[in-house]
Amino acid sequence: MWHGRKVLSDMKKIIVGLLIWPFIAVADGGSVDKVYHPYVQPLETEIEWRVLSVGNEQLYRLGIGQALSDNVFIEAYYITNKGHAVAEKEAYELELKWQLTEQSEYEVDWGILFELEKVQHEGVWELSTALLMEKEWGKWVTAVNTHLIVEWGNDIETEIETSLAIQAKYRYAAHFEPAIEFYSAESGQAIGPVVMGDIRLGQAKKLHWEIGSIFGLGYKGPDNTWRFLMEYEF
Amino acid sequence: MRLLLVVALLLSWGPVMAMPSIEIIIRNHLFYPSELTIAADTKVKLIIVNQDASAEEFESYELNREKVIPGHSKGIVFVGPLAPGTYPFFGEFFPKTAQGHIIVK
Repeated sequence: MWHGRKVLSDMKKIIVGLLIWPFIAVADGGSVDKVYHPYVQPLETEIEWRVLSVGNEQLYRLGIGQALSDNVFIEAYYITNKGHAVAEKEAYELELKWQLTEQSEYEVDWGILFELEKVQHEGVWELSTALLMEKEWGKWVTAVNTHLIVEWGNDIETEIETSLAIQAKYRYAAHFEPAIEFYSAESGQAIGPVVMGDIRLGQAKKLHWEIGSIFGLGYKGPDNTWRFLMEYEF
Repeated sequence: MRLLLVVALLLSWGPVMAMPSIEIIIRNHLFYPSELTIAADTKVKLIIVNQDASAEEFESYELNREKVIPGHSKGIVFVGPLAPGTYPFFGEFFPKTAQGHIIVK
């Protein structure tokens, strides 16, 4: 019993840390990416294609994922960039999402995301842990992701970073849902509209899409980032 | 303000007590019962037992729920509190047969 209370107490401390951290420190990586939801569907397989576009530079991400159980989903990504002003780089990432509570079981739905990334041919590693939260308010759904990131390796100075992503989505129709997203990291804060939806492709197969135009706030970071996402789920 | 947000989120992490539950059986790609009646503004726990060998997905955009239930296993779906009305659901793997709805009064 005492051990259970201690574990709960420790978990609350971790959660408080993850919640507060984005407000007291920020990450130096790009802030705009994707807002994660804390849910896992058993048996699901997914192929994902993601693009972030800033001016003439693009970051591409191709992933394949598979549910390992009713609450754990694992996905592997190949990441590359293209642009006139940047050298082409390649990286690999392994991601594990763990659904902690059933949807609407508690007032807030909870999940944890672990990401391990390695830049190819360079001694650059990145480990990210994110707390995923989601809350339904009638037709509105709010998702909050707080990331705690550690970078290390021979070619990078070891540092701890954080980032925050918030999405407020209106459930208008399955094929079209408008949303507003806010991102915060050391590269700055950004906010902008996103639209998304699902296209059914047959028995238990669907295509999920997202398109967003996120505008930088203040003097740091890009003025505008376009983000595209396609997920084929089967 | 930030501290209040943190405290509010932590306080929300509490179990919901005395919640009514209803069992739904999936058999031969049909839901039993296919019509459920629940009280308005009440959270309800649905225990969905899949007796078929194949998987099925309980899905409802109106309820904002989707849950895959592998063959010969069960899944939990929480719905509500809901406003009065009719909320359809279906099985995404066998949508022509697996259909039902929840009436909220």
